[in-house]
Parts: sequence; structure tokens; C-alpha cells
Amino acid sequence: MTRPLAGIRIADFTVHNAGPFATHLLSQLGAEVIKIESAMRPDAFRKPHPVYGRMGPATFDQVASTKLSVRINLKLPKGVALAKRLVAISDVAAESFRPGVLDRLGLGYAVLQQVKQDIVLLAVSSSGQYGPDKHFAGYAPLFGAWGGLSDLTGYEDGPPVEMRHVMDHTVGMNAAVAVLAALHRRDASGEGGLVDVSAREVASSFLGEALLLAAAGGEPRRMGNDHPRMAPHGVYPALGEDQWVSIAVASDAEWQALAQIIGVDDVRFASEAERHASRHELEVLVGRWTVTLSADAAAEQLQAAGIAAHASWNTVSLTSDPHLRTRRALVTVQEPDGKERAAVGVPMRLSKGADIGIHRGTPKLGEHEDYVYGELLGMTKAERLALEDEEVIY
Amino acid sequence: MNAPLTGFHIAVHASGVAAAYAGRMLGGMGAEVVLIEPPQGSPLRQEPPFLPELGQTKKPLPFRSFGLDGPRQSKSSPGDWTTRNWVGGGVCPLDATSRGTTDPTPTPPLKGRGLGTSALFAYLTAGASSTVCDLQTDDGCAALTAILSECDIFIDDTPLASREALGLDEAAIAARHPDLIHVSILPFGAIGEKAHWKGEEINLQHASGEGYLLPNGLSVEQFPDRPPVKIHGHFAEMQGGIAAALGALAALRVRGEIGGQYVDISSQDAMLSVGAFAIQRFGDGSVEHRVERSFRYGGVLPCKDGFVELLTLEQRQWDGLVELLGRPEWAEDPALADSLERSRRGPELNRHIRAWAKSRKVEDIVREGQKLSVPLAKYNTPAEVLRDPHERVRGLFQPVEVQGAGLLDMLISPIQFDSGTGML
Repeated sequence: MTRPLAGIRIADFTVHNAGPFATHLLSQLGAEVIKIESAMRPDAFRKPHPVYGRMGPATFDQVASTKLSVRINLKLPKGVALAKRLVAISDVAAESFRPGVLDRLGLGYAVLQQVKQDIVLLAVSSSGQYGPDKHFAGYAPLFGAWGGLSDLTGYEDGPPVEMRHVMDHTVGMNAAVAVLAALHRRDASGEGGLVDVSAREVASSFLGEALLLAAAGGEPRRMGNDHPRMAPHGVYPALGEDQWVSIAVASDAEWQALAQIIGVDDVRFASEAERHASRHELEVLVGRWTVTLSADAAAEQLQAAGIAAHASWNTVSLTSDPHLRTRRALVTVQEPDGKERAAVGVPMRLSKGADIGIHRGTPKLGEHEDYVYGELLGMTKAERLALEDEEVIY
Repeated sequence: MNAPLTGFHIAVHASGVAAAYAGRMLGGMGAEVVLIEPPQGSPLRQEPPFLPELGQTKKPLPFRSFGLDGPRQSKSSPGDWTTRNWVGGGVCPLDATSRGTTDPTPTPPLKGRGLGTSALFAYLTAGASSTVCDLQTDDGCAALTAILSECDIFIDDTPLASREALGLDEAAIAARHPDLIHVSILPFGAIGEKAHWKGEEINLQHASGEGYLLPNGLSVEQFPDRPPVKIHGHFAEMQGGIAAALGALAALRVRGEIGGQYVDISSQDAMLSVGAFAIQRFGDGSVEHRVERSFRYGGVLPCKDGFVELLTLEQRQWDGLVELLGRPEWAEDPALADSLERSRRGPELNRHIRAWAKSRKVEDIVREGQKLSVPLAKYNTPAEVLRDPHERVRGLFQPVEVQGAGLLDMLISPIQFDSGTGML
């Protein structure tokens, strides 16, 4: 068994969600990811975020898993010098500051290239490394707003809907793909590269077809759970409070199977076009049947008849699902203090890489300095203590 | 410098968005992508929305009018296009010799059954070429084998039950192509209790937890009793495609040492992984719910002429917001200097903020807010994204010849290498 990115080292300056999720995925595939923070400026996601109404940290445990943690105070010249030493022994450097910040720190791409000629620099930002809006501050809901994804999401007669953490994390997954592509080129040509991932552009990539339609003069708009072709298509009430089942009927044959199950015999619904035109009426008819069953029972019965359906699951259902556990899409991670928690795995199974995934829980700030500073950089204890006294390793 | 995946060859056999997007993503980074289609064409060619016919592009048309409101022929006519044609077109101003533009063969029709050109298919396949392989015949299977023998990656979304008969199962592909990276993409993956389940986009959003959590903020406040609402388009399926690209490139890195391998992708897994936050929250002891998943203050703000998003996570951003609001008396309450107190009094704060925003124009709020480094964004429509001066500078959109619909601006890639735009 081989972890495919074994031997790849990443100096990880990313914070918050999007960037750290990229390096989190790469760490699960075998890359050695060294997370760089300082006590003065720990990753903001180590801290509570009251605006969410939440007093604990956000996704820090998830995305910091399997990473190594070291402290560097980048405000001091010696801290910058130490960071360069780490980059010099890395294949990839990753950052998610606002564009320009890395340059101001003295760690811009040109500088890093001098330190490591074939370095791949991943730069994740809200609007990209250049362009008139490059300095814009942003978070997931803003990416979705700028990129058009939120405008197209929501009830037809309601406001746009905010994108949340899925937006950050998909930016991270896109970025992880881009890093691997850049590493392939490096291996082939010896050239590194700057990988510029703009979160708002990632948001836009999810409406490529609607943007193309708009370019042709169309006016795509949000349409709730409607599908432009399929009907019935939606989320229907199931037995119990706030229980729902999603159903999508993709063909006439599937409709006939559904009609039989729900006891509807009406020639008006024979063709897809007719069903689509009558979709509001159909919604009521389907809902009358779904509301008599638990969401999972309804989905199972429909799947047995060849119809795409799934219960609307909350995290209780997700974390107890045997299918997701079998696939290791959901795993249990043990923290150093012995506490166990559910976490998502890397979303793939490799026939020759069964050992991919999370290997360690959340690192404590600076937990891996013996290995990183001692073994990898060959620093003496005295040298490290001196840097600690000077608040460089801090 | 070359596009990063120059020289890699990828075959895509896709009836769904996930597999097609995996190919599109790798193609956008320079790989050569060939679509393997059945004689009647990929079902994606029939998927709305459809583009208006050439010559009608100036007329504004509602989204739905490209859907199924018109008659749909039940029987498809055999494709009249020849092999090795260019599918979605693809103009590449940066490197025009790469592919597409010099091919002498006629462009194949993208049209569905009398419905016009599928915008979805055009977007997902831009830059790729297409080959017909009728896998029901020996000749078709032999043709596929020949293609795969020259490919690095094969991406397939054939349902499990049909694979063996078509020679597309894991063992058959591995036997014939030991160095190939064989990527399977299915709604629920190739292994596990639900491997045979069907899953459309809406099912995948709900099977991964995010569906249950939407809408949030202002929308759920206005419609607390409605069924949850999905994210636009094919968000979950595309996560499957992105995970497939990740898995394929990871497997490719170790091909020299261990040969090809089988990469099993589930769009449910991929969507769940980007929903990691809710799982961590569960581990911390709370079950997320859409009604509670709203920002305590800020969020979607209705303005005089549209909506803006406001989110202040850091103290200096709150300070900037108070400045933007014109230092009203309520905001100067010393107790609000504490972020926990602001959280507790979120609804009260929001009443003030919303009242302020309601009489103002989006552009004014965003312009003034960004000056004060307050995180604010306009809710852009697709047409506004297309016209966005920032994206014009970055070349996010480039003109692409779309068969039947003419030269259209198409989103190229959300990723740029070496400060240059992507390519198709």
C-alpha cells in the first residue's frame, strides 16, 4: 500500500477554512504538511467565533488533523528567515493571506523561488492575486454572492441564499487538485509555479452553464427545488417533524413506477413536459404519500423501484450510516486527550492506497518542533531556545 | 510555461455531470480529453438549460423557456456526427496550437432532440474531442481498448450493474490496461450498501447533510416551514468530479512505482467532505439545523435595489461597520465592544442594520464598506458576473465557439497558473 503523496512536503501558512482544507486533503494523501502559526497569531479558527453564535472553535480540528504544527513569528526578520528555511526543504508552500501580504512579509513568490527554485506556491484568496478587487476581504458567503451562486440559490419568491462552509471547502478541494497538477509539471519540467485560486471564481464555476446561458442573452434565475426538465423533483415531507425525503424522477419509466407506488393514475402526467407543467399539482400528490412514511423507508421503497430518492439527513443520521463508514467517508478520530470525534475522510478509495486518510488528531501549537526544527532543519536545542527567547519561535 | 497537465491523455465516458466535470477540470489544466460517446450521444447532450439558436442571442429569454415546456421527441435520431470531432469548441488565445482550432473536421451538433444546444453539455465538454464507441459491439469495444491503451486516465460513470457486459468493470480494465488510472464515479460509490442506488443532484445534497441545512439566514427566517432548498445546479455532482480529479492526479504520481490503480469516487462522499463543518459540530456535541445556522447579525441585507452580504468576524471589521453606519447611538453602546455581547444581541443589531440598508443602494454600501475594510459583497446575477470588470481583467471568461449558438463567453477555469488565464 502506498500513500500517493508520500515524500511531498508542504510549508503551510494558510488560515481559516479554504486553504487549510486544501492542505488537509493533501496531508491525507500522504503529504507531510507543516502548519505554521504563532501564539501571537494563531489560526483564527483555533478560537471561538461569536458571530456564528458559537463559543467553540470552528473546523479547526478537522482541517488541522494529520498536520504537523510549528510556531514562527513572521513579524520578526528572524521569523521570516526561519520560514524560508522551511520552504527550502519543501515542495509546496501554501498561503491564504490577502494578496500582497506575503510580499510585505518578505516571503513573496519571487523570494521563495530564490530559496527553492522549483517551489510550487499555492495562493488562495477571495478574488485572486491580481485584478481590481484583489484586495477585497471575504468569507464563504461573500464568495457565493460575488460569484453568482447565491443569486441562483433560493426559493423563486425569496431572497438569495448564503453559501456556507461547503463553499470554503470546495475552494480547498479545487486548490488541492491544482497543486497536484503543478507538481506533475514540476516533475516533468523542473519548473515550479504560482497557483492562483480565487474563491469567487470557484463559486462561479458551479454555474458555468447558467453563465453561458446569460452570455447568450438568457436570464437564469433561482428556482427553488425545481429542475428545468425533471418532475416530480423536490423535497417532500416525511413522517415526523421536520423530516424530508428528496425525490427526482428522471424518465417516463421512473414516473410510471412512482405513480403505481403513490396510487396516481392520470394520463395528464404521461410525458415529462406535461409533468413539468403540472409540477405543483404533482408535488401535492407525491407529498400525500411521503408524509405517511419515515424518510428512510420512503427512500428505500423508491430506490427498490428504480427511482432516485434519499432522506434529508442531519448529522445524527450521517454519522451512524454504515455505508459512509464502510467507505471511510466518515471516520472516528481519536484526539491526543483520548476523546473521540467524528470526522470526514478524504473522499476517495484507492485500490493501492488503503492507508490514506486521517492519521492523527489536532496538533497542539508547536507540537512538532522537535521533529521539524530538530530533525529536518538540524537546529540545536540551544539555537531553538535562543529563538524562543527572542520570540521568533513563539 | 506549459499548462501543467500538458501531455496527459484522458478518456471520459460520462452520462452524468460528475464524470464530465472531472474531465473538464483536468482539460482546463492542459490535459487532452476525449469523450467516449455511444452512437446516440451522451445523455448530457439532452440536459437543459438549452441555448437559444444562433441569431436569436440578443433576445432576453427566461431560464425555463429552454426547459421542457415545449414538446420533446421520445425517440432520438442517430447522431450524424463523425468521430474525433471537436465537441464544445474551444478558442484558446494563449496557445492556439494546442488543440481544437486547427481541426479540419466539421463541428458536431451539440443539439439535443430538437431542443437546441445544451448549455450544460457545452460547458462541461468545452475543449474536449469526441469519439463514438458503440460498446454493444466488438468493434466499439476494440476501439475503446485502443484509445485506453494511449490514455493515462479513464473516467467512467457507468452504473455498476452494466459494467461487466460492456467490459468496463475494474478487473477487465486492470487486466487490459495495467498502467491506467481507472476512475469510477457513481452517486454513492462503487463499494458499500448503496453502491447500486440512484442519485440525482437533489438526492446527493440531502444524502450528504448540506441539503438539510439550507436555506439559512434571511431565507429561512422568511420561510421557516418550507421544505429545504437546494444549491443551484450540480454542486454535489461537481464535488464528485473535483474529488475524481484529485484522486486521478494522486494515483498518477505513484504510477511509475506501483502501476495503475482503481479510484472509487462517490459524489455523496465528496459532498459530505466539503460539509465537514457540520460533522465537526456533531463531534463537539451539537446537531446543526438550518434555522439556527444563521449569522447572529449581518448576512443577507435587502437594500433599495438588491441584496448585499455582510459578515464581520473580526473586531476591526465591526469597528469599520460602525463607521460605515455613521456611528449611530445604538452602535456606540460600550457593551457592544464585546463580541460575545454582540452575538447575544444579534437580532437587535440586525434590526438596526437592516433598517439602515433598506434605504440605500447596493453599490453605495459596497463601495463605502470596502473602503473601511468591512467584508461586504453584492449579490451578483450571472449577467453581472459576466460583465464584472474584475473578471474581465482576469480573463475568467473567454470567447468559445459553441456549435449552434455561436461565439459565446464561457467560464474557462477558476484556477490560474503563473498569473495567466486558463485554457481550453
